[in-house]
Amino acid sequence: MSNGDYGDRGNKDASIANPRGSGEMRPSGGTGKEMNTHSAFLVGDSMTGGYGKSGPDILHDCTVAVDPGEIAVIVGPNGAGKSTAMKAVFGMLDLRQGSVRLDGEDITNLSPQDRVVKGMGFVPQTSNIFTSMTVEENLEMGAFIRRDDFTETMAQVYDLFPILREKRNQPAGELSGGQRQQVAVGRALMTKPKVLMLDEPTAGVSPIVMDELFDRIIEVSRTGIPILMVEQNARQALEIADKGYVLVQGRNAYTGTGKDLLADPEVRKSFLGG
Amino acid sequence: MDFLNAIVALSNFVLIPAIAYGSQLALGALGVTLIYGILRFSNFAHGDTMAFGAMIAVMVTWWFQSMGLNFGPLPTALLALPFAILGTMVLVLITDRMVYKFYREQKAKPVILVIVSMGVMFIMNGLVRFIIGPNDQKFADGERFIISVRDFKAMTGLKEGLAIKTTQGITVVVAVICVALLFWFLNRTRTGKSMRAYSDNEDLALLSGINPERVVMYTWLIVAALATTAGVLYGLDKSFKPFVYFQLLLPIFASAIVGGLGSPVGAIAGGFVIAFSEVTITYAWKKVLVYLMPESLEPDGLVQLLSTDYKFAVSFVILIVVLLFKPTGLFKGKSV
Amino acid sequence: MTDVLKNTLLFAAVGTLILLTGLMQSWNSALLILNMGLISAIMALGVNLQWGFAGLFNVGVMGFVALGGLGVVLTSVDPVGEAWAAGGIRVIIGLLAGAGTIVGAALVYQNLPAGRSRNLLLILVLLGGFFLYRAIFDPGVAAVETVNPAGTGFLGGLGLPVLLAWPIGGLLAAGAAWLIGKTALGLRSDYLAIATLGIAEIVIAVMKNEDWLARGVKNVVGLPRPVPYEIDLQQSASFVSRAEGLGIDPVTASTLYVKLGYAALFATVLLIIFLMAQAALKSPWGRMMRAIRDNEVAAEAMGKDVTRRHLHIFVLGSAVCGIAGAMMTTLDGQLTPGTYQPLRYTFLVWVMVIVGGSGNNLGAVLGGFLIWFLWVQVEPIGLWLMEMITIGMAEDNGLRQHLIDSAAHMRLLTMGVILLVVLRFSPRGLIPEK
Repeated sequence: MSNGDYGDRGNKDASIANPRGSGEMRPSGGTGKEMNTHSAFLVGDSMTGGYGKSGPDILHDCTVAVDPGEIAVIVGPNGAGKSTAMKAVFGMLDLRQGSVRLDGEDITNLSPQDRVVKGMGFVPQTSNIFTSMTVEENLEMGAFIRRDDFTETMAQVYDLFPILREKRNQPAGELSGGQRQQVAVGRALMTKPKVLMLDEPTAGVSPIVMDELFDRIIEVSRTGIPILMVEQNARQALEIADKGYVLVQGRNAYTGTGKDLLADPEVRKSFLGG
Repeated sequence: MDFLNAIVALSNFVLIPAIAYGSQLALGALGVTLIYGILRFSNFAHGDTMAFGAMIAVMVTWWFQSMGLNFGPLPTALLALPFAILGTMVLVLITDRMVYKFYREQKAKPVILVIVSMGVMFIMNGLVRFIIGPNDQKFADGERFIISVRDFKAMTGLKEGLAIKTTQGITVVVAVICVALLFWFLNRTRTGKSMRAYSDNEDLALLSGINPERVVMYTWLIVAALATTAGVLYGLDKSFKPFVYFQLLLPIFASAIVGGLGSPVGAIAGGFVIAFSEVTITYAWKKVLVYLMPESLEPDGLVQLLSTDYKFAVSFVILIVVLLFKPTGLFKGKSV
Repeated sequence: MTDVLKNTLLFAAVGTLILLTGLMQSWNSALLILNMGLISAIMALGVNLQWGFAGLFNVGVMGFVALGGLGVVLTSVDPVGEAWAAGGIRVIIGLLAGAGTIVGAALVYQNLPAGRSRNLLLILVLLGGFFLYRAIFDPGVAAVETVNPAGTGFLGGLGLPVLLAWPIGGLLAAGAAWLIGKTALGLRSDYLAIATLGIAEIVIAVMKNEDWLARGVKNVVGLPRPVPYEIDLQQSASFVSRAEGLGIDPVTASTLYVKLGYAALFATVLLIIFLMAQAALKSPWGRMMRAIRDNEVAAEAMGKDVTRRHLHIFVLGSAVCGIAGAMMTTLDGQLTPGTYQPLRYTFLVWVMVIVGGSGNNLGAVLGGFLIWFLWVQVEPIGLWLMEMITIGMAEDNGLRQHLIDSAAHMRLLTMGVILLVVLRFSPRGLIPEK
C-alpha cells in the first residue's frame, strides 16, 4: 500500500477522486551539519542521499556547481542520478551528507518553495506548465511571489521567446512541445531568479526544436543568469557548456569544461559513442 | 391562440421550475466541483453543508421576524443570507483545520478524504438535526408571486395562466450574481488564478510560490458561500427539511459529473441539463398537448413519461448516457 | 500469538457489551442487538470484499440490501392467483418488451455504421419501444393493483420456503450489481461510486412505487418465518413445561427462543460466508485480487483483465449484501421500502468496515457488531447524558426540553466522530490487514 496508512487501495474511481494534478513533491530535511569543500555561486557540495529517510543512497559524494554567466551541464548514462542531483540541489532529496549553498548562503535546510524565494528558478522535466491556463497566466503565476510590477520582466520574456507573445491568450496546453518548454522556462524566469535550473529541457522534442531551444538557453545565459541543466543529449549539451559534470552511478566521474570533456577520449568512448 | 396557451403552459410548468431548480443544482454542483478540483475529492458532506447554511439562515430569519425586521416584498431570508454564509464559513474552516488538514499533511490519497467526508457528513447531519430537528420548517415570507396566475390571465386574456414565484425570480437573480462573481474571481484576480493554477498542477504551483493552505482556505470560503446560497434558495423555493439536502447529493453529483468534474462552466451546464431532463420527463404533457393537437388526436392519458418519483432515475440515466459518449463530461479539459 | 490474543480480547469486549445489555436492560434487547449485529457483520463482509480487497467504492449498499429484502417477498409470499389472472402475464410481457427495447437499441448501436441513419433508427427504436412497453405494461399494472388493494394488490411471490429467499436475495443483488458494474466499470475511467449511489436510489424508488411488485409503500407484512411463532410455543404444553422447568415465564421464554433460533441461523450463515471469504482471500484468486489492488499496472502487464476481476468481486460483495438484506427482512417479518435510508444502510456499513479494519474479514465482523451495538445504545446513553447535563434546569426549561428531545440525533453525530477518530488514530482499523 502506498502512502502508508492512507493509500487508495488501487481505487481509480474518477467520480470521487480527482486523478489530476496532485502533488508528488515532498520537501526533505537538511543534513544537520555543514560541509564546504567547494566555492561557487550555486553549489551542491559533496551530496550523499536518497529518497525518504530510509531509502537507499542514490547520490554518493556528488558535487555540482555553477557561476554567473556560465552554463553548467550534468550528463551521464541512464540511471546515473542526473535528475536526482538536480533535485538534491533543489531540496527534494533527503541528504545525509553535504550541503547546498546559493551566493554563499547555506540553503541546505530550506524547502523547495523557500529556495524559490531565495532566487532559484526550477523547470521540472514534466508537467512544467499550467496546461489549462493561458500563456500569459502561466507567466503571471511564475511571478506570483513578486509584489512589484512585473510587466517589464514579462516583456523581456516575450522578447526572448517571441512566439509566446503571439500566443499569449492561448491555453498553454494547446501549444507544441517546443513552445511548451519555452513557456516553462519563461515561467521560471518571471521571478527574476539568481540562478536557473533546467531538468532535461529538450526531452521529447524534435532535433530542430532542440537546436532552437539550446539557442534560447544560450541567450538566457547571456543575460547573466547562471544555468544548471541536466541533459540527455550529451554531445550537444557539452558543446554549449562552460562546465560539464559526467555522473556515473551517482558519483562524479569526470568534471571539466565542455570542450575538455568532448575532447577527453575516455568520455568520448564511454558516453558519446566514440 | 392555442399555440400561445401551449407556450404559457409549458413555461409555467416546465421552463420556469426547471430554470429555478437548475440554478439551485448549478450552485450546489459548483461547490462540489471546486472541492474536486482543488482538494481532489468528492465531498459527501456537501449536501449537509447546504443544510447547515440554510439552517442558520432559517434561525436568523426567525430572529429578524421576531424583531419585526423584514425586507419588504422580498423574503427576510435574503437579509439573513450573509450571516448564514459567515456561520457556514466558520464551520467549514474549523472542520478543515480539525479534520482535513491532517490528511493533507499526510499526503493521503483522495479516496481517504472521501471517507473522511463521510464522517463529516454524519457529524453535520447530526448537528443540524440536533439543533433544528428533522422536521419541515417554513421561513419564506414577503410577496409570494411576481406574477400570479390571475394577474397574468387578466393581463393577457389567455386561458392558460402563468405564475412566477418570488422565490423562483430570486433564485435565478442570485444564482446569476454568484456565478458572475465566481467567474470574475477565478479569471481576473490573483488569488483566483492561483486557485486555478493549484488545481491544474499542484507541484508547479508550489514552485511558483503559491501557498497551498491559502488556496485551500479560499476554496472552503467560496464553497461555504455557494453551498449556503444554494441551500437557502432551495429551502425558500421548496421548504427546509434537513434530509432533503442529503438527497440532493445525487442530482448535484450528477450535475457536476455530467458537466465534467473540476470544470465550473460544466457544473452550471450540468445543473441545467439535469434539471431540465428531470422536469420534462416527469411532467404530464397533456396540458400542453391539448392546445397543440387537433381535438381528435387529443391524448387521453396524462402523457407523463415517468412518475415524479423516478426523478433520480432521470439524473442517473442522463449521467450514464453522457459518460458513455463523453467520458470526461460535457466540458472537459478546463479545470478550476 | 499476540495478534490472536488481541483479537480475542476485542471480540470478548464486544460480547461483554452485549451481555451487559442483557443484564442491565433486557435479554430481549441483547438478542436483538446480537441478531442485527450478525446481519451487520455480513453486510460489512460484503463491503470489505469490495473495498478491502479490490479498492472498489460502493456507496449503494442500501440498494443491494433492499433488493435482498425484495427477494424475500418474491420467494416466500404465496402467489396472488387473482392478480396473476387479472394482469400478471401482461405485466411480464410488458417488462420483456421494455428489456427488448433496450437490447434492440444496443444492437442497433453496435451493428450499424455511425451516422444519421443510425441515430434516427436508435431514437425510433427507443421511442417506439417505450410507448409499446407503456401500452402493454400500464393496463396490466392497473389490473393487478385493483385486485383487493387493501390486502394484496400485487402479484405475490413464488410461495417457496423462506430460507430459500436468502440465496435468491443474494442473486437479485448480484444481478443488479452485474448490470451496474458492467456499465460503470466499463467506462473509460471508473465511475462506480456515483453509479452505485444512483442505482441504490433507483432501487428504492422502484420498490416504493411499483405496487404490483411488492405493494410499494403499503408494505408487505406477515412474511413467513423460518422459526416458530411465539404464540404457538406458548400454546405448546411441552414448551411451557420446559420453560417453567428453567424458571422463566413462558411468554418471555418464547420470545427468547425465537430470537435464539434466528441467532443460530444467522450465525451459521455468517460463519459460512466468513469462511468462504477467508478461503477466497488465501486462494490464488484472492492473492491476485490483492496484487491488482496494490499494483494495477503490473497486474495488467502480466495479462490480468483488471476490469473483469473487479466486476467479479463487485458482484460477489453485492451478493453478500443482498443475502444480509434478505435475512434482515426475514427477521423483521415485513418489507417496508420507506425505511431504507442511505445513512443507515450504506454509510453506517462503511463505518463498520473502516472501524473494524479494511481488508481484514475478522475486522469487518468485529466492526459490524461493535458499530451496531453503539448505533442502538448511543440513543439511551445520549438521553441519559442530556438528563445529567440538564439536571439543574427547571422541568419546563426550553433548552432542557430541546436537548432531551434532540438526544435521539446524537447517534449520527457519534458515528461521525467514531469514524473520524479511528481514521485519524488507528487508520487501519481495530484489526488491521496483515
